[in-house]
Amino acid sequence: MKIILVCSAGMSTSMLVNKMRKSAEERGLEASIDAVAESQLKNNLEGTDVVLIGPQVRFLEKKIRALVEPKGIQTDIIDQIAYGMMKGDVVLDQAIALKK
Amino acid sequence: MNSKFMQRFIEIAGRIGAQRHLVAIRDGFVAIMPLIIAGSIAVLINNFPPFGKKFDFVGWMNGIFGDGNWQLVGGTVWNGTFAVLGLLVAFSIAYNLAKSYEVDGLSAGLISIASYIMLVPVTEDWGLNFAWLGSQGLFVGIIVSIITTELFRLLMSKDKLVIKMPELVPEGVSKSFAALFPAMIILALVGLFQALMTALAGVNVFEVIFDVIQKPLQGIGDSLPAAMVVAFLNHLLWFFGLHGTNILGGVIEPIYLPLLEQNVDLWAGGMSAFDVPYIVTKPFFDTFVYMGGSGTTLALLIAIFIVVRNERKHPYREVAKLAAPAGLFNINEPVILGLPIVLNPVFLIPFIFGPVILTVISYVALSTGLVPRTVAMLPWTTPPIFSGYLVTGGSWRGVALQVVNLTISVLMYIPFIMAGVRAWNQQMKEDKAS
Repeated sequence: MKIILVCSAGMSTSMLVNKMRKSAEERGLEASIDAVAESQLKNNLEGTDVVLIGPQVRFLEKKIRALVEPKGIQTDIIDQIAYGMMKGDVVLDQAIALKK
Repeated sequence: MNSKFMQRFIEIAGRIGAQRHLVAIRDGFVAIMPLIIAGSIAVLINNFPPFGKKFDFVGWMNGIFGDGNWQLVGGTVWNGTFAVLGLLVAFSIAYNLAKSYEVDGLSAGLISIASYIMLVPVTEDWGLNFAWLGSQGLFVGIIVSIITTELFRLLMSKDKLVIKMPELVPEGVSKSFAALFPAMIILALVGLFQALMTALAGVNVFEVIFDVIQKPLQGIGDSLPAAMVVAFLNHLLWFFGLHGTNILGGVIEPIYLPLLEQNVDLWAGGMSAFDVPYIVTKPFFDTFVYMGGSGTTLALLIAIFIVVRNERKHPYREVAKLAAPAGLFNINEPVILGLPIVLNPVFLIPFIFGPVILTVISYVALSTGLVPRTVAMLPWTTPPIFSGYLVTGGSWRGVALQVVNLTISVLMYIPFIMAGVRAWNQQMKEDKAS
Protein backbone atom coordinates (compact mmCIF):
# COMPACT_ATOMS: atom_id res chain seq x y z
CA MET A 1 0.00 0.00 0.00
CA LYS A 2 1.10 3.58 -0.62
CA ILE A 3 0.90 6.12 2.18
CA ILE A 4 1.71 9.83 1.90
CA LEU A 5 2.21 12.19 4.82
CA VAL A 6 1.62 15.89 4.29
CA CYS A 7 3.38 18.45 6.43
CA SER A 8 5.13 21.79 6.05
CA ALA A 9 8.91 21.83 6.08
CA GLY A 10 9.17 18.06 6.21
CA MET A 11 11.79 17.81 8.94
CA SER A 12 9.87 16.22 11.76
CA THR A 13 7.57 14.25 9.49
CA SER A 14 10.50 12.50 7.90
CA MET A 15 11.49 11.25 11.36
CA LEU A 16 8.02 9.77 11.72
CA VAL A 17 8.19 8.27 8.23
CA ASN A 18 11.35 6.38 9.16
CA LYS A 19 9.66 4.91 12.22
CA MET A 20 6.63 3.91 10.17
CA ARG A 21 8.81 2.19 7.58
CA LYS A 22 10.57 0.27 10.32
CA SER A 23 7.25 -0.79 11.77
CA ALA A 24 5.97 -1.89 8.37
CA GLU A 25 9.14 -3.89 7.83
CA GLU A 26 8.77 -5.64 11.18
CA ARG A 27 5.24 -6.66 10.26
CA GLY A 28 6.35 -7.82 6.83
CA LEU A 29 4.00 -5.29 5.29
CA GLU A 30 4.73 -4.16 1.75
CA ALA A 31 4.32 -0.40 2.00
CA SER A 32 5.66 2.73 0.37
CA ILE A 33 5.60 5.59 2.86
CA ASP A 34 6.71 9.11 2.01
CA ALA A 35 6.39 12.66 3.27
CA VAL A 36 5.74 15.58 0.93
CA ALA A 37 5.00 19.28 1.27
CA GLU A 38 1.43 20.31 0.61
CA SER A 39 2.37 22.03 -2.66
CA GLN A 40 3.84 18.76 -3.96
CA LEU A 41 0.88 16.58 -3.03
CA LYS A 42 -0.90 16.93 -6.36
CA ASN A 43 2.02 15.36 -8.23
CA ASN A 44 2.30 12.38 -5.93
CA LEU A 45 -1.22 11.02 -5.80
CA GLU A 46 -0.76 8.31 -8.44
CA GLY A 47 -1.53 4.94 -6.84
CA THR A 48 -1.80 6.38 -3.33
CA ASP A 49 -4.12 4.64 -0.86
CA VAL A 50 -3.98 6.92 2.15
CA VAL A 51 -2.98 10.55 2.72
CA LEU A 52 -2.19 11.44 6.34
CA ILE A 53 -2.14 15.09 7.40
CA GLY A 54 0.33 16.35 10.00
CA PRO A 55 -1.50 17.82 12.99
CA GLN A 56 0.38 21.12 12.68
CA VAL A 57 -1.11 21.73 9.24
CA ARG A 58 -4.61 20.52 10.12
CA PHE A 59 -5.96 23.75 8.65
CA LEU A 60 -5.30 22.24 5.21
CA GLU A 61 -7.69 19.36 5.85
CA LYS A 62 -10.63 20.76 3.84
CA LYS A 63 -8.42 21.56 0.87
CA ILE A 64 -6.74 18.16 0.90
CA ARG A 65 -10.03 16.30 1.29
CA ALA A 66 -11.41 18.12 -1.73
CA LEU A 67 -8.33 17.15 -3.68
CA VAL A 68 -7.99 13.45 -2.81
CA GLU A 69 -11.42 12.12 -1.94
CA PRO A 70 -12.81 12.29 -5.49
CA LYS A 71 -9.92 9.99 -6.40
CA GLY A 72 -11.02 7.46 -3.82
CA ILE A 73 -8.09 8.16 -1.53
CA GLN A 74 -8.73 8.08 2.21
CA THR A 75 -7.40 10.87 4.36
CA ASP A 76 -7.28 11.95 8.00
CA ILE A 77 -5.28 14.03 10.45
CA ILE A 78 -2.56 12.11 12.27
CA ASP A 79 -3.28 11.62 15.96
CA GLN A 80 -1.42 14.47 17.62
CA ILE A 81 0.09 12.55 20.52
CA ALA A 82 1.15 9.67 18.29
CA TYR A 83 2.83 12.19 16.02
CA GLY A 84 4.55 13.97 18.87
CA MET A 85 5.80 10.76 20.45
CA MET A 86 6.89 9.59 17.00
CA LYS A 87 4.91 6.37 17.38
CA GLY A 88 5.38 4.91 13.93
CA ASP A 89 3.38 1.76 14.64
CA VAL A 90 0.33 3.67 15.93
CA VAL A 91 0.30 5.97 12.89
CA LEU A 92 0.72 2.96 10.60
CA ASP A 93 -2.29 1.35 12.31
CA GLN A 94 -4.22 4.52 11.67
CA ALA A 95 -3.35 4.37 7.97
CA ILE A 96 -4.29 0.68 7.71
CA ALA A 97 -7.60 1.29 9.47
CA LEU A 98 -8.36 4.12 7.05
CA LYS A 99 -7.76 1.96 4.01
CA LYS A 100 -10.38 -0.55 5.08
CA MET B 1 -11.42 26.35 26.78
CA ASN B 2 -14.48 27.27 24.74
CA SER B 3 -14.50 24.83 21.87
CA LYS B 4 -16.70 26.94 19.60
CA PHE B 5 -14.26 29.80 19.85
CA MET B 6 -11.42 27.38 19.18
CA GLN B 7 -13.07 25.97 16.07
CA ARG B 8 -13.60 29.47 14.78
CA PHE B 9 -10.00 30.42 15.48
CA ILE B 10 -8.62 27.36 13.71
CA GLU B 11 -10.92 28.04 10.79
CA ILE B 12 -9.78 31.65 10.39
CA ALA B 13 -6.12 30.75 10.80
CA GLY B 14 -6.64 27.97 8.27
CA ARG B 15 -8.13 30.38 5.79
CA ILE B 16 -5.14 32.69 6.12
CA GLY B 17 -2.73 29.75 5.99
CA ALA B 18 -4.30 28.44 2.81
CA GLN B 19 -4.91 31.80 1.08
CA ARG B 20 -3.62 31.30 -2.43
CA HIS B 21 -1.60 34.51 -2.83
CA LEU B 22 -0.08 34.39 0.63
CA VAL B 23 0.89 30.76 0.05
CA ALA B 24 2.46 31.68 -3.31
CA ILE B 25 4.44 34.48 -1.64
CA ARG B 26 5.57 32.18 1.17
CA ASP B 27 6.56 29.36 -1.18
CA GLY B 28 8.27 31.90 -3.42
CA PHE B 29 10.47 32.89 -0.52
CA VAL B 30 11.04 29.27 0.49
CA ALA B 31 12.23 28.53 -3.04
CA ILE B 32 14.87 31.29 -3.12
CA MET B 33 16.11 30.65 0.43
CA PRO B 34 19.11 28.53 -0.70
CA LEU B 35 20.31 31.45 -2.84
CA ILE B 36 19.74 33.94 -0.03
CA ILE B 37 21.72 31.81 2.41
CA ALA B 38 24.51 31.22 -0.13
CA GLY B 39 24.84 34.96 -0.70
CA SER B 40 24.79 35.69 2.97
CA ILE B 41 27.41 33.08 3.81
CA ALA B 42 29.64 34.42 1.01
CA VAL B 43 29.57 37.83 2.69
CA LEU B 44 30.14 36.23 6.07
CA ILE B 45 33.29 34.49 4.82
CA ASN B 46 34.54 37.69 3.17
CA ASN B 47 34.27 39.59 6.42
CA PHE B 48 35.02 36.89 8.97
CA PRO B 49 36.55 38.35 12.11
CA PRO B 50 39.89 36.98 13.38
CA PHE B 51 39.93 34.56 16.32
CA GLY B 52 42.27 36.41 18.64
CA LYS B 53 45.53 37.43 16.98
CA LYS B 54 46.59 33.96 15.81
CA PHE B 55 43.85 32.92 13.42
CA ASP B 56 43.00 35.72 11.02
CA PHE B 57 41.46 34.14 7.92
CA VAL B 58 40.70 37.38 6.09
CA GLY B 59 44.23 38.69 6.82
CA TRP B 60 45.82 35.50 5.46
CA MET B 61 43.83 35.53 2.29
CA ASN B 62 44.59 39.20 1.70
CA GLY B 63 48.27 38.39 2.25
CA ILE B 64 48.22 35.66 -0.39
CA PHE B 65 46.08 37.21 -3.12
CA GLY B 66 46.48 40.92 -2.48
CA ASP B 67 44.02 43.13 -0.66
CA GLY B 68 40.43 42.37 -1.58
CA ASN B 69 41.13 40.26 -4.68
CA TRP B 70 39.95 36.93 -3.31
CA GLN B 71 36.84 38.60 -1.92
CA LEU B 72 35.63 39.17 -5.47
CA VAL B 73 34.37 35.58 -5.45
CA GLY B 74 32.07 36.10 -2.49
CA GLY B 75 31.11 39.58 -3.66
CA THR B 76 30.01 38.21 -6.99
CA VAL B 77 27.98 35.47 -5.32
CA TRP B 78 26.26 38.17 -3.29
CA ASN B 79 25.46 40.20 -6.41
CA GLY B 80 23.70 37.28 -8.04
CA THR B 81 21.69 36.23 -5.01
CA PHE B 82 20.61 38.33 -2.05
CA ALA B 83 21.41 41.57 -3.92
CA VAL B 84 18.74 40.78 -6.54
CA LEU B 85 16.04 39.65 -4.11
CA GLY B 86 13.29 41.54 -5.93
CA LEU B 87 14.11 39.97 -9.26
CA LEU B 88 14.26 36.48 -7.76
CA VAL B 89 10.86 36.65 -6.10
CA ALA B 90 9.33 38.16 -9.25
CA PHE B 91 9.97 34.76 -10.80
CA SER B 92 9.43 32.39 -7.88
CA ILE B 93 6.14 33.89 -6.69
CA ALA B 94 4.68 34.00 -10.20
CA TYR B 95 5.76 30.40 -10.74
CA ASN B 96 4.11 29.19 -7.54
CA LEU B 97 0.94 31.19 -8.07
CA ALA B 98 0.56 29.87 -11.62
CA LYS B 99 1.12 26.31 -10.35
CA SER B 100 -1.66 26.76 -7.82
CA TYR B 101 -4.00 27.67 -10.70
CA GLU B 102 -2.64 24.73 -12.66
CA VAL B 103 -1.40 26.91 -15.52
CA ASP B 104 2.13 26.88 -16.95
CA GLY B 105 4.42 28.08 -14.13
CA LEU B 106 7.53 28.54 -16.26
CA SER B 107 5.79 30.89 -18.71
CA ALA B 108 4.18 32.85 -15.90
CA GLY B 109 7.54 33.23 -14.15
CA LEU B 110 9.27 34.42 -17.31
CA ILE B 111 6.54 36.92 -18.12
CA SER B 112 6.75 38.25 -14.58
CA ILE B 113 10.55 38.68 -14.78
CA ALA B 114 10.25 40.44 -18.16
CA SER B 115 7.61 42.80 -16.75
CA TYR B 116 9.76 43.51 -13.72
CA ILE B 117 12.80 44.38 -15.83
CA MET B 118 10.64 46.59 -18.05
CA LEU B 119 9.80 48.69 -15.01
CA VAL B 120 13.32 48.93 -13.53
CA PRO B 121 14.79 52.40 -14.03
CA VAL B 122 17.82 52.44 -16.32
CA THR B 123 21.01 54.23 -15.35
CA GLU B 124 22.59 56.97 -17.51
CA ASP B 125 25.05 54.58 -19.11
CA TRP B 126 22.31 52.08 -20.02
CA GLY B 127 22.53 49.67 -17.12
CA LEU B 128 19.89 48.21 -14.86
CA ASN B 129 19.88 49.97 -11.53
CA PHE B 130 20.99 47.34 -9.03
CA ALA B 131 19.34 49.20 -6.18
CA TRP B 132 15.91 48.40 -7.58
CA LEU B 133 16.68 44.77 -8.43
CA GLY B 134 17.28 44.02 -4.77
CA SER B 135 15.34 44.35 -1.58
CA GLN B 136 14.18 47.89 -2.36
CA GLY B 137 12.30 46.48 -5.32
CA LEU B 138 10.88 43.55 -3.37
CA PHE B 139 7.32 44.84 -3.14
CA VAL B 140 7.28 45.71 -6.82
CA GLY B 141 8.42 42.14 -7.45
CA ILE B 142 5.56 40.76 -5.35
CA ILE B 143 2.94 43.03 -6.91
CA VAL B 144 4.16 42.50 -10.49
CA SER B 145 4.29 38.74 -10.09
CA ILE B 146 0.74 38.58 -8.72
CA ILE B 147 -0.82 40.96 -11.26
CA THR B 148 0.89 39.48 -14.31
CA THR B 149 0.10 35.93 -13.23
CA GLU B 150 -3.55 36.76 -12.58
CA LEU B 151 -3.71 38.30 -16.08
CA PHE B 152 -1.90 35.29 -17.52
CA ARG B 153 -4.34 32.85 -15.96
CA LEU B 154 -7.28 34.91 -17.19
CA LEU B 155 -5.95 35.13 -20.76
CA MET B 156 -4.97 31.45 -20.85
CA SER B 157 -8.58 30.56 -20.07
CA LYS B 158 -9.75 32.33 -23.25
CA ASP B 159 -9.61 29.61 -25.88
CA LYS B 160 -9.32 32.07 -28.78
CA LEU B 161 -6.03 33.43 -27.42
CA VAL B 162 -4.34 30.10 -26.98
CA ILE B 163 -2.57 28.70 -30.04
CA LYS B 164 -3.15 24.98 -30.35
CA MET B 165 -0.43 22.91 -31.97
CA PRO B 166 -0.89 19.58 -33.76
CA GLU B 167 -0.32 16.60 -31.47
CA LEU B 168 3.03 15.70 -33.00
CA VAL B 169 4.66 18.92 -31.76
CA PRO B 170 6.70 18.33 -28.58
CA GLU B 171 5.07 19.52 -25.37
CA GLY B 172 7.71 22.18 -24.63
CA VAL B 173 7.18 23.83 -27.99
CA SER B 174 3.41 23.73 -27.88
CA LYS B 175 3.46 25.16 -24.35
CA SER B 176 5.58 28.12 -25.34
CA PHE B 177 3.29 28.87 -28.28
CA ALA B 178 0.22 28.53 -26.10
CA ALA B 179 1.57 31.35 -23.97
CA LEU B 180 2.44 33.58 -26.95
CA PHE B 181 -0.62 35.82 -27.21
CA PRO B 182 -1.20 36.10 -23.47
CA ALA B 183 2.48 37.04 -23.05
CA MET B 184 2.31 39.66 -25.80
CA ILE B 185 -0.82 41.23 -24.33
CA ILE B 186 0.56 41.35 -20.77
CA LEU B 187 3.92 42.79 -21.81
CA ALA B 188 2.23 45.40 -24.01
CA LEU B 189 0.09 46.44 -21.05
CA VAL B 190 3.11 46.70 -18.77
CA GLY B 191 4.95 48.70 -21.44
CA LEU B 192 1.99 51.05 -21.83
CA PHE B 193 1.79 51.49 -18.09
CA GLN B 194 5.50 52.25 -17.85
CA ALA B 195 5.30 54.77 -20.72
CA LEU B 196 2.36 56.54 -19.12
CA MET B 197 4.05 56.66 -15.73
CA THR B 198 7.31 58.12 -17.05
CA ALA B 199 5.93 60.36 -19.83
CA LEU B 200 2.82 61.76 -18.20
CA ALA B 201 3.31 61.45 -14.47
CA GLY B 202 7.10 61.61 -14.57
CA VAL B 203 7.48 59.12 -11.75
CA ASN B 204 9.18 55.82 -11.28
CA VAL B 205 6.96 52.98 -10.11
CA PHE B 206 9.69 51.51 -7.94
CA GLU B 207 10.15 54.74 -6.00
CA VAL B 208 6.41 55.19 -5.51
CA ILE B 209 5.83 51.66 -4.20
CA PHE B 210 8.92 51.78 -2.05
CA ASP B 211 7.98 55.11 -0.47
CA VAL B 212 4.27 54.49 -0.11
CA ILE B 213 4.12 50.81 0.88
CA GLN B 214 7.44 49.17 1.61
CA LYS B 215 9.20 51.84 3.65
CA PRO B 216 6.33 52.50 6.07
CA LEU B 217 5.75 48.75 6.56
CA GLN B 218 9.42 48.17 7.25
CA GLY B 219 9.47 51.09 9.64
CA ILE B 220 6.64 49.53 11.60
CA GLY B 221 8.23 46.09 11.33
CA ASP B 222 11.49 47.23 12.87
CA SER B 223 9.77 48.45 16.05
CA LEU B 224 9.52 46.69 19.39
CA PRO B 225 5.70 46.54 19.44
CA ALA B 226 5.63 44.89 16.00
CA ALA B 227 8.28 42.36 17.04
CA MET B 228 6.25 41.53 20.15
CA VAL B 229 3.08 41.07 18.08
CA VAL B 230 4.91 38.75 15.66
CA ALA B 231 6.28 36.63 18.52
CA PHE B 232 2.89 36.57 20.24
CA LEU B 233 0.88 35.58 17.15
CA ASN B 234 3.35 32.87 16.14
CA HIS B 235 3.11 31.21 19.54
CA LEU B 236 -0.62 31.70 19.89
CA LEU B 237 -1.04 29.79 16.62
CA TRP B 238 1.33 27.05 17.74
CA PHE B 239 -0.53 26.80 21.04
CA PHE B 240 -3.61 25.87 19.03
CA GLY B 241 -1.50 23.26 17.25
CA LEU B 242 -1.14 25.28 14.06
CA HIS B 243 2.12 25.91 12.25
CA GLY B 244 2.62 29.58 13.19
CA THR B 245 5.68 30.38 11.09
CA ASN B 246 4.06 28.69 8.13
CA ILE B 247 0.79 30.60 8.41
CA LEU B 248 2.44 33.98 8.98
CA GLY B 249 5.25 33.41 6.46
CA GLY B 250 3.59 35.21 3.55
CA VAL B 251 3.32 38.37 5.65
CA ILE B 252 6.52 38.18 7.71
CA GLU B 253 9.11 37.35 5.05
CA PRO B 254 8.52 40.37 2.76
CA ILE B 255 9.06 42.68 5.73
CA TYR B 256 11.89 41.08 7.65
CA LEU B 257 14.07 39.76 4.84
CA PRO B 258 14.75 43.18 3.19
CA LEU B 259 15.68 44.64 6.58
CA LEU B 260 18.34 41.98 6.88
CA GLU B 261 19.54 42.55 3.31
CA GLN B 262 20.21 46.20 4.06
CA ASN B 263 22.12 45.27 7.21
CA VAL B 264 24.28 42.73 5.36
CA ASP B 265 24.92 45.11 2.49
CA LEU B 266 26.18 47.87 4.79
CA TRP B 267 28.20 45.39 6.84
CA ALA B 268 29.85 44.04 3.67
CA GLY B 269 30.72 47.64 2.82
CA GLY B 270 32.73 47.91 6.02
CA MET B 271 30.21 49.18 8.57
CA SER B 272 30.44 47.59 12.02
CA ALA B 273 27.68 45.14 12.97
CA PHE B 274 26.94 47.44 15.91
CA ASP B 275 26.11 50.32 13.59
CA VAL B 276 23.93 48.66 10.94
CA PRO B 277 20.47 50.22 11.07
CA TYR B 278 17.92 47.46 11.66
CA ILE B 279 17.27 45.53 14.85
CA VAL B 280 14.34 43.27 14.05
CA THR B 281 15.08 40.97 11.10
CA LYS B 282 14.30 37.40 10.18
CA PRO B 283 17.38 35.94 11.95
CA PHE B 284 16.65 38.15 14.96
CA PHE B 285 13.72 35.86 15.79
CA ASP B 286 15.36 32.61 14.67
CA THR B 287 18.52 33.22 16.66
CA PHE B 288 17.53 34.97 19.84
CA VAL B 289 13.92 33.91 20.39
CA TYR B 290 13.09 30.62 18.62
CA MET B 291 16.01 28.68 20.10
CA GLY B 292 15.22 25.00 19.69
CA GLY B 293 12.19 26.06 17.67
CA SER B 294 9.13 28.19 18.38
CA GLY B 295 8.54 28.59 22.10
CA THR B 296 12.27 28.45 22.89
CA THR B 297 11.63 24.76 23.46
CA LEU B 298 15.33 24.05 23.93
CA ALA B 299 14.91 25.81 27.28
CA LEU B 300 11.82 23.72 27.94
CA LEU B 301 13.79 20.51 27.37
CA ILE B 302 16.54 21.67 29.72
CA ALA B 303 13.92 22.62 32.31
CA ILE B 304 12.35 19.17 32.09
CA PHE B 305 15.71 17.45 32.61
CA ILE B 306 16.26 19.65 35.67
CA VAL B 307 12.82 19.17 37.24
CA VAL B 308 12.22 15.51 36.42
CA ARG B 309 15.72 14.22 37.10
CA ASN B 310 14.78 11.37 39.46
CA GLU B 311 11.77 9.73 37.87
CA ARG B 312 13.38 8.12 34.85
CA LYS B 313 10.11 6.81 33.45
CA HIS B 314 8.15 10.03 33.79
CA PRO B 315 6.35 10.81 30.50
CA TYR B 316 7.71 14.39 30.41
CA ARG B 317 11.21 12.99 30.54
CA GLU B 318 10.45 10.39 27.90
CA VAL B 319 9.23 13.05 25.49
CA ALA B 320 12.18 15.30 26.28
CA LYS B 321 14.66 12.49 25.62
CA LEU B 322 12.98 11.67 22.34
CA ALA B 323 12.85 15.31 21.28
CA ALA B 324 16.33 16.43 22.36
CA PRO B 325 18.42 15.41 19.32
CA ALA B 326 16.12 17.12 16.81
CA GLY B 327 15.60 19.98 19.24
CA LEU B 328 19.24 21.00 18.97
CA PHE B 329 18.52 21.71 15.32
CA ASN B 330 15.40 23.74 16.10
CA ILE B 331 12.96 21.00 15.10
CA ASN B 332 10.38 20.79 17.84
CA GLU B 333 7.16 19.21 16.67
CA PRO B 334 7.79 16.22 18.97
CA VAL B 335 7.71 18.45 22.05
CA ILE B 336 4.90 20.70 20.91
CA LEU B 337 2.62 17.85 19.87
CA GLY B 338 3.87 15.10 22.15
CA LEU B 339 4.21 16.70 25.56
CA PRO B 340 1.81 18.17 24.52
CA ILE B 341 2.04 21.95 24.62
CA VAL B 342 -0.89 22.27 22.26
CA LEU B 343 -4.01 23.31 24.20
CA ASN B 344 -2.31 22.38 27.46
CA PRO B 345 -3.16 25.07 30.02
CA VAL B 346 0.00 24.26 32.00
CA PHE B 347 2.20 25.67 29.23
CA LEU B 348 -0.03 28.47 28.01
CA ILE B 349 1.81 31.24 29.87
CA PRO B 350 5.48 30.28 29.46
CA PHE B 351 5.05 29.10 25.87
CA ILE B 352 3.27 32.21 24.60
CA PHE B 353 4.63 34.96 26.82
CA GLY B 354 8.15 33.65 27.42
CA PRO B 355 9.17 34.32 23.80
CA VAL B 356 7.58 37.77 23.94
CA ILE B 357 9.74 38.59 26.96
CA LEU B 358 12.83 37.29 25.17
CA THR B 359 11.92 39.48 22.20
CA VAL B 360 11.91 42.53 24.48
CA ILE B 361 15.24 41.58 26.10
CA SER B 362 16.88 40.95 22.73
CA TYR B 363 15.52 44.17 21.30
CA VAL B 364 16.91 46.16 24.20
CA ALA B 365 20.29 44.38 24.00
CA LEU B 366 20.61 45.13 20.29
CA SER B 367 19.24 48.65 20.36
CA THR B 368 21.50 49.77 23.22
CA GLY B 369 24.55 48.35 21.44
CA LEU B 370 25.32 45.67 24.04
CA VAL B 371 25.10 43.07 21.30
CA PRO B 372 25.77 43.56 17.56
CA ARG B 373 22.83 43.44 15.17
CA THR B 374 22.10 40.64 12.70
CA VAL B 375 24.18 40.58 9.51
CA ALA B 376 23.79 37.01 8.23
CA MET B 377 21.09 34.61 7.16
CA LEU B 378 21.62 30.99 8.17
CA PRO B 379 19.63 27.83 7.60
CA TRP B 380 16.96 27.80 10.33
CA THR B 381 18.28 24.43 11.51
CA THR B 382 21.60 25.97 12.67
CA PRO B 383 21.98 25.05 16.37
CA PRO B 384 21.93 27.85 18.97
CA ILE B 385 25.39 29.12 20.07
CA PHE B 386 26.68 28.63 16.48
CA SER B 387 23.82 30.74 15.21
CA GLY B 388 24.35 33.48 17.80
CA TYR B 389 28.01 33.72 16.87
CA LEU B 390 27.48 33.72 13.11
CA VAL B 391 24.46 36.00 12.66
CA THR B 392 26.17 38.78 14.57
CA GLY B 393 29.08 38.60 12.13
CA GLY B 394 31.22 36.53 14.49
CA SER B 395 30.66 38.07 17.91
CA TRP B 396 30.74 36.28 21.25
CA ARG B 397 28.25 38.84 22.48
CA GLY B 398 25.66 37.18 20.25
CA VAL B 399 26.35 33.88 22.00
CA ALA B 400 26.18 35.60 25.39
CA LEU B 401 22.72 36.94 24.59
CA GLN B 402 21.58 33.45 23.60
CA VAL B 403 22.87 32.01 26.87
CA VAL B 404 21.15 34.75 28.87
CA ASN B 405 17.91 34.24 26.98
CA LEU B 406 18.06 30.46 27.37
CA THR B 407 18.67 30.79 31.11
CA ILE B 408 15.76 33.18 31.55
CA SER B 409 13.55 30.89 29.52
CA VAL B 410 14.55 27.81 31.56
CA LEU B 411 13.74 29.69 34.77
CA MET B 412 10.36 30.68 33.34
CA TYR B 413 9.47 27.11 32.37
CA ILE B 414 10.55 25.44 35.62
CA PRO B 415 7.62 26.46 37.89
CA PHE B 416 5.10 25.45 35.24
CA ILE B 417 6.72 22.07 34.71
CA MET B 418 6.72 21.50 38.46
CA ALA B 419 2.99 22.30 38.52
CA GLY B 420 2.44 19.98 35.57
CA VAL B 421 4.33 17.13 37.22
CA ARG B 422 2.40 17.59 40.46
CA ALA B 423 -0.93 17.54 38.63
CA TRP B 424 0.09 14.44 36.72
CA ASN B 425 1.21 12.57 39.84
CA GLN B 426 -2.07 13.52 41.55
CA GLN B 427 -3.98 12.13 38.61
CA MET B 428 -2.03 8.87 38.76
CA LYS B 429 -2.83 8.47 42.45
CA GLU B 430 -6.53 9.05 41.84
CA ASP B 431 -6.55 6.60 38.97
CA LYS B 432 -4.97 3.96 41.19
CA ALA B 433 -7.43 4.62 44.00
CA SER B 434 -10.51 4.33 41.82
